[in-house]
Amino acid sequence: MPDMTPLPGQTIYVAPAADTPLEETGTVDTSAPPEGQWKEAWKQLRSNWIFWVSAVLLVFIFIVVLFPGLFTDINPRQAQLSRSLEGPSAGHWFGFDRQGYDVFSRVIYGARASVTVGILTMLFVTFVGLLTGAIAGFYGKWTDTIISRIADVFFAIPLILGAIVLLSSLNNVWSNRGYWGGVLAVVLVLAVFGWPQMTRIARGAVLEIKSLEFIDAARAIGATRRSNLWRHVIPNSLAPVIVTATVSLGVYIVAEATLSFLGIGLPPSVVSWGNDIAAAQSQVRSGSNLHVLFFPAGALAITVLSFMLLGDAVRDALDPKAKKS
Amino acid sequence: MTEPLLQITDLQVAFRAGKTDIPAVRGASLTVYPGQTVAIVGESGSGKSTTAHAIIDLLPGTGHVTGGSIVFDGRDITHLKRREREAIRGSQIGLVPQDPMSNLNPLVRVGSQIKESLEANGIAKGKAADKRVVELLEEAGLPDAASRARQFPHEYSGGMRQRALIAMGLAARPKLLIADEPTSALDVTVQKQILDHLETLTADLGVAVLLITHDLGLAAERADHLVVMYKGQVVESGPALQILKNPQHPYSKRLISSAPSLASQRLTSQLRAEVRESSVKTAGEIAAEVVAEDELLGGEVTTAVVEAKNLTKVFKLPGGAPGRSIDFTAVDDVSFRLRRGTTTAIVGESGSGKSTVARMVLDLLEPTSGSVEFDGIDITSLRDKKQQLAFRRRVQPVFQNPYASLDPMYSIYRSIEEPLRTHKIGSDKEREAKIRDLLDKVSLPSAVMRRFPSELSGGQRQRVAIARALALDPEVVILDEAVSALDVLVQAQILTLLNDLQAELGLSYLFITHDLAVVRQIADDVLVMQNGKVVEQATVTEVFDRPREEYTRKLLDAIPGGSIELAS
Amino acid sequence: MWWYVGKRLLQAIPVVLGATLLIYAMVFLQPGDPILALFGEKPVSESVKAQLEAQYNLDQPFIVQWLLFLGGALTGDFGLSYSGQPVADLIGRAFPVTLKLALMALVIEAVLGIIAGFYAGLRRGKLFDSTMLVVSLLVIAVPIFVLGFMLQLVFGVQLQWAPATVGGDASITRLILPATVLGLVSFAYVLRLTRTSVVENLTADHVRTARAKGLSESEVNRRHVLRNSLIPVVTFLGADLGTLMAGAIVTEGIFNIPGIGNLAYQAVLRGEGPTVVSVVTVMVLVYVVMSLLVDLLYAALDPRIRYA
Repeated sequence: MPDMTPLPGQTIYVAPAADTPLEETGTVDTSAPPEGQWKEAWKQLRSNWIFWVSAVLLVFIFIVVLFPGLFTDINPRQAQLSRSLEGPSAGHWFGFDRQGYDVFSRVIYGARASVTVGILTMLFVTFVGLLTGAIAGFYGKWTDTIISRIADVFFAIPLILGAIVLLSSLNNVWSNRGYWGGVLAVVLVLAVFGWPQMTRIARGAVLEIKSLEFIDAARAIGATRRSNLWRHVIPNSLAPVIVTATVSLGVYIVAEATLSFLGIGLPPSVVSWGNDIAAAQSQVRSGSNLHVLFFPAGALAITVLSFMLLGDAVRDALDPKAKKS
Repeated sequence: MTEPLLQITDLQVAFRAGKTDIPAVRGASLTVYPGQTVAIVGESGSGKSTTAHAIIDLLPGTGHVTGGSIVFDGRDITHLKRREREAIRGSQIGLVPQDPMSNLNPLVRVGSQIKESLEANGIAKGKAADKRVVELLEEAGLPDAASRARQFPHEYSGGMRQRALIAMGLAARPKLLIADEPTSALDVTVQKQILDHLETLTADLGVAVLLITHDLGLAAERADHLVVMYKGQVVESGPALQILKNPQHPYSKRLISSAPSLASQRLTSQLRAEVRESSVKTAGEIAAEVVAEDELLGGEVTTAVVEAKNLTKVFKLPGGAPGRSIDFTAVDDVSFRLRRGTTTAIVGESGSGKSTVARMVLDLLEPTSGSVEFDGIDITSLRDKKQQLAFRRRVQPVFQNPYASLDPMYSIYRSIEEPLRTHKIGSDKEREAKIRDLLDKVSLPSAVMRRFPSELSGGQRQRVAIARALALDPEVVILDEAVSALDVLVQAQILTLLNDLQAELGLSYLFITHDLAVVRQIADDVLVMQNGKVVEQATVTEVFDRPREEYTRKLLDAIPGGSIELAS
Repeated sequence: MWWYVGKRLLQAIPVVLGATLLIYAMVFLQPGDPILALFGEKPVSESVKAQLEAQYNLDQPFIVQWLLFLGGALTGDFGLSYSGQPVADLIGRAFPVTLKLALMALVIEAVLGIIAGFYAGLRRGKLFDSTMLVVSLLVIAVPIFVLGFMLQLVFGVQLQWAPATVGGDASITRLILPATVLGLVSFAYVLRLTRTSVVENLTADHVRTARAKGLSESEVNRRHVLRNSLIPVVTFLGADLGTLMAGAIVTEGIFNIPGIGNLAYQAVLRGEGPTVVSVVTVMVLVYVVMSLLVDLLYAALDPRIRYA
């Protein structure tokens, strides 16, 4: 029961209205430009130094991929056997390998194969995975069961093991496939075993979005299921898919190098980091000639690192959990 | 003369964002005496929880005290070392947190979590502690405490978890208990039980309580002394009843006039009658026109625009063995009529099946048996695409969660345009004019058009959702907990808006809510539901003044502050 | 729970069937005659060829070949390799080696990853955390064969702390270096996962409640933060065993370990169809069993999850 005579410190206090002005409960700040989700994410991204580091590196890497001629005049396939395994020197910063190829030129020209494989595989996997995952998650029931089981079948076969088997079979059917044929074969093989992961991610995202109230609101308007899927569900499920795609790009580049290292990825005629690292192993025995291994491996690591960092930055910008804090 | 137990003077708390401090509490002062109950009342963002957390130094993230002092039991505890702080927590000041669902560790048995508190404060160990845990749970009103102590939190209901948290907060017999919205997440009847229990328990133990709540009625009912906070400042404080009866600060006045539990007692039923009269008249005219024009749906002008007949929904839940399933009857033989131009409220606690009814009326969910008739036509018989679209145009929903009911990637313009586009209504120009008109109807500036939902407040989003629902000029609007997630003042504004729109446009509302207090301000007929069944069905005045059923009476009693007589 | 295990095993059947069919098709459904390829330039008499074809069921239609393979595999009979050895014997010799290697890698990555991740999470944004993040990124970015090769060079060849190659004697001491290499990439993932999980749990409501009870910082961290953070980590580790065994192909190559990866790799290079198919089938089974175990483990760790 309330005391009739207030105790010290509990007497009636009313703040002066001038110090505590009431604000309208429904004001809209019309001065700032409107910001959608993507714009907001971009703002977040822009203020992250990790994003800028990876962006600068990636822009540089893309220039190397598109215009290798800007960086070196030396033909990566021109052997100077007399200079075999020579160390770094002026004009030949990265030295020579056993065949007498200029390592700098090999590193520059090798970028194209690695990066192309990474990007094409990522596009392929994202396209197939997003489509199958969205359909499975959205329509549910039998559609979901069938798609999920098929994805399980491919997921159950380990990536590298499956890729080796499929590539060696491809070699029998399609042995002489040249530069782009070689690249395409690796892309296809990695995509065949890589898509189920994206299917799972997309399916999970769609299941989450599907249960939100604005989807019901759209149904109540009379929107068809298909338009709901394309207009509301898929666009809102993109964030985790984009993050996974960016990070997996790096993973696919490493996978290509691993396949080439195992001697089954890109044909030996293709100048690529993976092939050069594989070749370097036998040239570096006992610790000498490290430059032959170091430079292609370093180039590969920096490229993969750039994509992983970009993925991290994109995740921070898109993740609603991270945004709240 | 007793000394104060807790004295907060000019407290300043800020959260660090980048290099700047954003103030959250600005110069708050309050005093708590031993054995007293003091309540801090405020809306979200008022700084009430931040003040409470500052006392035991549990501010989240970058929060820190930037000024002022906190004196507890004659000792300044504003800036303590870690060990000293840990010594005070639990044994001197206990905490009963807000959300019973997230405040217990899901991986640890409830008994062990309470035992931790006893051991950390050196009260009991081992077997003795186990025994004490059972006593504490019994004391908190948990039946069968010995076996309950060995269970995990997910095996408890919400109310039981809150009881366990109370047992935990009082385990080490603190002198002060901070109860941070201890029952907001619970159903009203459970809320009342728990608060009653807490009140007797703390009185018996002589523990002072600092109650943090957004509910003015609840605060006035439970506390001796009231502290009203607004935007980080204390705007008014004093004896609870005195503030309630004679508020001085403009904010307190506004808060008291908006609180549904208090206001509903004073709101003249005459006002509601005026709204209804105008609405029924307009609705009748519209219906006559529509029936004359619209040959697709046909039907006839009846007094009931929607009639649910013996609606039943049975969900199949996976059972104990493969291929077997358990039938769960969410809605059991529910019938009602929504009279044209009026509001029928469906009231019930969680799990009562009220939202399932709403989804069936919206034709988003197919009834297991029974039917929903719209203007005398069974909606499940509308299998023609055109007929379905025509039905959709006449019935629109507004949902509960203002953060999930708008597509975050759509601008406000696109959100409101979507129904018009889907039904291929008007040219681009005409649509824009219509959207401007709709925004004006829900009292939003047309500049909002180009904005995105994340840039608007909860109340504004709910206005947009209402505008979208009205875009197709529907006759019936299903409001599924449409004001439940909003702060008191905003809630009052939206309710006023809904009343105005009904009077102007002749809308018929199906108003789904757990909060009986708001029903009086908007409804004409009431359905009280419990466990899927209709318990009582009557007009608002009958339900409030002469409730026939025990359960209805229990719901009415549980409205916080409902018993307080306000002189008007 | 047994209902659940039974249901999951039933669900696994189409997956195993599909995966073996897929791999069988990749190996055997292609033009070219494996028998001719086997003999290379040497001429083969028609009768020898017919006999070999009958022995390896190559005279049967593709689906029948696959069904015969499956039938044999069910009884543990994977047939003969082209060089005449029972494939089951080859796998029986190689499998334990790889399992030992993968388990060692799993222990190494779990212990190091959880400890480093836990402390990085508690000291978020501090020097240790940043260092660990950089290390984990580097480990993921540098291909495992480069890392493996460098470690082999430093510890095996230069310092001679460990044998550079393993060869026939796959004892635990000789496997430590390769197991470390194999576990490195997963170590980075375990570290990052633990850290994220710890950071998330630190802000959980029930952790704040534990503090409010008067528990000391270390008690809160040990009893509430670490324990709850380990659930996703443990499930990752369970699923990782299969990945490690399949990924051992590179490590086994570098350190010359006679494991299952090496067996598969050599078989692929030599066109040993029956061996390839059998090894992949075993790996698929490992995957299926491990994902079931992970699910059960999950239920054991998290009392909220009950499989009916």
